[in-house]
Amino acid sequence: MLRKALPGRADSGVLLHKTSSQIAQELQACIGCNECLLACPALAEPITIDVLNRETFSGPISASVERYARACSQCGACVAPCPVGLHRDAMMMWLKVRLLRSGGEGQ
Amino acid sequence: MKRLLVTIVILGAGIAFYAWYSRTSPDASPDSIAGYAFAILGTLFAILAGVLFARRRRLHKKRVGQLHASLQWHMCFAVIALVFLFLHSFGNFNPRTGTYALYGMIALAVSGFVGKMLDRLVPHMIAQEANKALTMEGEDRIESISDKIEAIVEHNSATISGFSPAGQVGQVGKPSRERSLVSLSGGPLSNHFPFEYQNQPLHTPWDLAYISLEATPQELSREAGQYRFIPDKKSELTRPGALLPGAQEHISELREVERAMQREQFYRYIIRYWRRVHIALVIVTLGLTIWHIVYAAELLIPVLLHR
Repeated sequence: MLRKALPGRADSGVLLHKTSSQIAQELQACIGCNECLLACPALAEPITIDVLNRETFSGPISASVERYARACSQCGACVAPCPVGLHRDAMMMWLKVRLLRSGGEGQ
Repeated sequence: MKRLLVTIVILGAGIAFYAWYSRTSPDASPDSIAGYAFAILGTLFAILAGVLFARRRRLHKKRVGQLHASLQWHMCFAVIALVFLFLHSFGNFNPRTGTYALYGMIALAVSGFVGKMLDRLVPHMIAQEANKALTMEGEDRIESISDKIEAIVEHNSATISGFSPAGQVGQVGKPSRERSLVSLSGGPLSNHFPFEYQNQPLHTPWDLAYISLEATPQELSREAGQYRFIPDKKSELTRPGALLPGAQEHISELREVERAMQREQFYRYIIRYWRRVHIALVIVTLGLTIWHIVYAAELLIPVLLHR
C-alpha cells in the first residue's frame, strides 16, 4: 500500500515514505534487472543490485552503499524504468533512515 | 576531478583571450570577431550541456554510473556556456534581445546551482521527518499511536458503562425493558412469578399493572447515539483528561507525526518542482536566445550580402 499524500493534497500524488514491512515486500519483489541503478543520476560508483538489496533492509551497510544513500536526492528517476513498478526511492529512503538512526546520514 | 580540470582550463583560456583581445583590439564589442567567437562557443557549450544529458537519460545502453558522469558534464558545460556568453557581451548590457537572453541564461544557471544545493539538503530533511513518522521497528507510528488511543478509549468506555451503583453492574447491556422491571421492594424482579391460574403462569401480576414496562426517558437517552456521560461537577471525573488518562499525550504525539508527514510532503514538492522550474527556464532561455539570434541575423545578413 502506497502512502499517498495527506488529505486535501492527495490529488497531486506525492508519495511519502514506506514502512519496513512494505520495504521488505518491495525487496522481495525486486527481479534484479538493474534498471533503477542505470537510471540513477546520483550513483557514481558501480554497485550491484544484489549488494544494494541485501544491505537496504538490515545488517551492516558498506561504505559504497552508504555514499550512494547519502547522494540519493529522491528525484524518483529510478521509479519509471522499473518493470515491476517498485519504488527504489522509498527503499533508498529507508536506507537513509537507517543511516540517520545509526548516525551516518548527513555526516 | 578530470571534469573540473577541463572546465578550469577552458574557462582560463577563454578569459585570457578576452583580456588579450580587449587590450589589443579597438573593436571589443559583441559584434566583433571575438564577440562572435564567444557567442558561437557559448551556444555550442549550452547545446552540449542540454543535449548530451537529455540524450544520455533516454539512451537504453547505459552503464551504472554513466548518468552521474553525464550530469557532471552537464553542469561543467553549462558553467562554460554562461561564462562565454557573458564574455560575448563585452560589458554591453543595453536592454536588447541579447541582454534578455543572457539574463535567462543566468537564471537558468542559478536555478541549477540552487537545485543542486536542494538535492543535497532536502533528502536529509525528508529522512528526518520520515524517521519521526516510523517506529523503531520501521512500522507506521500513526497506526501504533491510534491503536493505543483506541485501547484507552475502549477501556474508559467500559469504565464509564460500568459507572453505576453496586449490584447493578451485571445488568449493563441487558434490554431496557427487562431492567425497568423492578419489584416494589426494590430488588430485581424474577421472571418466574409464583402465581398461577388454571396451571398457566401469570406473567403480569395485577399489582404491577401500574408499572410501565417501557424504557424510562433516562434509559432511552443513555442508549441513544448522542448519549454523553456528564459527571457531577464535584466529581473527580470532571478534571481535564480524567476520563482518558494518557490519551492527551498520545493525541499530541499523533499531531506531531502528522506535522512531520506534512513537512515531508512539502520537501518532496520542493524536489519535484525545482526540476520543473529548471526545465521551464530552459524553454524561456531557448526562446530568448532564438529571438536574439534572429535579431542578430537580421543585422548581419544585409551587411554580409553587401560586401
